[in-house]
Amino acid sequence: MNQQNDEIVVRLKNVSKTFFSKQNPSVSIRDLALGLFNRRKEVKVVKALQNINLEIRKGETFGIIGSNGSGKSTLIHLMMQSMKPDEGATIETKGVMLRLALGMGMDPNLSARENIFVNGSILGLSFSHISSIFDEIIAYANIEDFVDTPVKHFSKGMHARLKFSIALHANAEILLLDEFFGGVGDQDFRKKSTRAFKKVILQGKTIIMVSHAVQNVKKHCERAIWIDKGIIKMEGAADAVVDAYIENFKLLEAKKELEEKELKEKKRNRRKKRNAE
Amino acid sequence: MLSKLKTNILNKIPDNNRYERIWKIAQVDFKKRYFNTKLGLLWALINPLFRLFVFYFVFAWIGRMRGDNFGIYIFGALIVWMSFMETTSAGIRLLHAKKYLLMNIQFNKLDLFISNTTAGFMGFLFNLVAYMIISIGVGIPIIPDIVWLPLLVINLYILTLGVSLILAVINIYLKDIHHVWSMYSLLGFWTMPSIFPMERFTGYLEILLWINPVAGILVNIRNILFYGKPIEWKFFFYNFALAILFYLIGEYLLNKHWQNSLEKA
Repeated sequence: MNQQNDEIVVRLKNVSKTFFSKQNPSVSIRDLALGLFNRRKEVKVVKALQNINLEIRKGETFGIIGSNGSGKSTLIHLMMQSMKPDEGATIETKGVMLRLALGMGMDPNLSARENIFVNGSILGLSFSHISSIFDEIIAYANIEDFVDTPVKHFSKGMHARLKFSIALHANAEILLLDEFFGGVGDQDFRKKSTRAFKKVILQGKTIIMVSHAVQNVKKHCERAIWIDKGIIKMEGAADAVVDAYIENFKLLEAKKELEEKELKEKKRNRRKKRNAE
Repeated sequence: MLSKLKTNILNKIPDNNRYERIWKIAQVDFKKRYFNTKLGLLWALINPLFRLFVFYFVFAWIGRMRGDNFGIYIFGALIVWMSFMETTSAGIRLLHAKKYLLMNIQFNKLDLFISNTTAGFMGFLFNLVAYMIISIGVGIPIIPDIVWLPLLVINLYILTLGVSLILAVINIYLKDIHHVWSMYSLLGFWTMPSIFPMERFTGYLEILLWINPVAGILVNIRNILFYGKPIEWKFFFYNFALAILFYLIGEYLLNKHWQNSLEKA
């Protein structure tokens, strides 16, 4: 299906992440001074991720699914190395990694042209290279008439198209799609991105896809993990993981429904009893 | 022709994409700072000129403190100090302001600070040229020691970069550092020979010239461009060493702590 090989481009070993949030953190000098006299502070410990071990190979399309607050975002930040893991963890990545999330990665006050040059050069492209692919990026994003318009005036769809277009043309080896397609309603763009997806896969780029839209993960990914409350609940073929996740989701929904029903029943009985009295 | 020359030079520098990147971010920062306004780059000059007018009015007319070219004397201090303060103040919030890049792309974070300092220095160099033109215009002689001027500018650049790095890391943990820094702006300006003559900074007051890392640089810039005197090497070496020390501390702190900026945001 693709140019996947045995080279591991992302390796996580014993990765855990604990957040310590103080009830009233000292963010100002005043707080710090007052804190000297009031040493007893409640510290809330949140174990966002626990003992994650993961290997992603070059050219693989890998999915990460899980409900809200399960630790997906934290995992992405750790992979991007924009956050530090707890002691004892190893995170190794090979190649330039780019995260694509809606509305992020661009300066809203700069024009599309400037954002392309800033992002492109940060991603390792020379100015001459960016100039040579500039028209292509604009054409792909379908924003020919808005090249010098500040990005803050762009619609969600235009934003997403431009970002995706930069990512496709830049030489980032690993693309991290963080809920990237979920928010775009543009059918045309969805079709286009599916085609682009295949092209990217053929180029041998690694794709890590984080999504609530689990069908997307099933459609595009070969392997996937399901994270639940900070631990990997299941790892394996994307089909199987997504099916298990949906099954579990249905079960939970059914359980919730049943509980709600029981609660309503109880209330009704109580009311009846009261009326009878 | 020019672009060909530029490409040739860039090709000779190893990893030239890094320099392009730094230049691009500096360019857009500079543009954002000045070109979204009606008067554009002129603001870089108008701001110190306005302060100069206020100080001149207060000290020369009300305070009757008049020396030869007193206005130029103050103007030199204003452009040096304002460049240092404006650039370091922008540096304080840099990790926050560039979060959109930090979160999404892997690259050397130091480049953001080099770009910020470079953007700040574009305005400074513009003012320095204006200052030199005025100095020559009023008959201040050009002395051979002017060859050291670029080194003094580089000294100020490294110092600004180092202090920006340190302040940005402090800002991760203490958000109100910018209030402290704006207070220091006042303190630093008045405790160096910005308005008062050098002769006042003798005896025990000389220590002020050693405490403020910008003071020695200002003294030497003034020696060259105002008094037509040779530079004072004791200040030159001390300030250069101090700037490098600040830079090394700043770079170490950035590498160790930048990842916490997302958590603490």
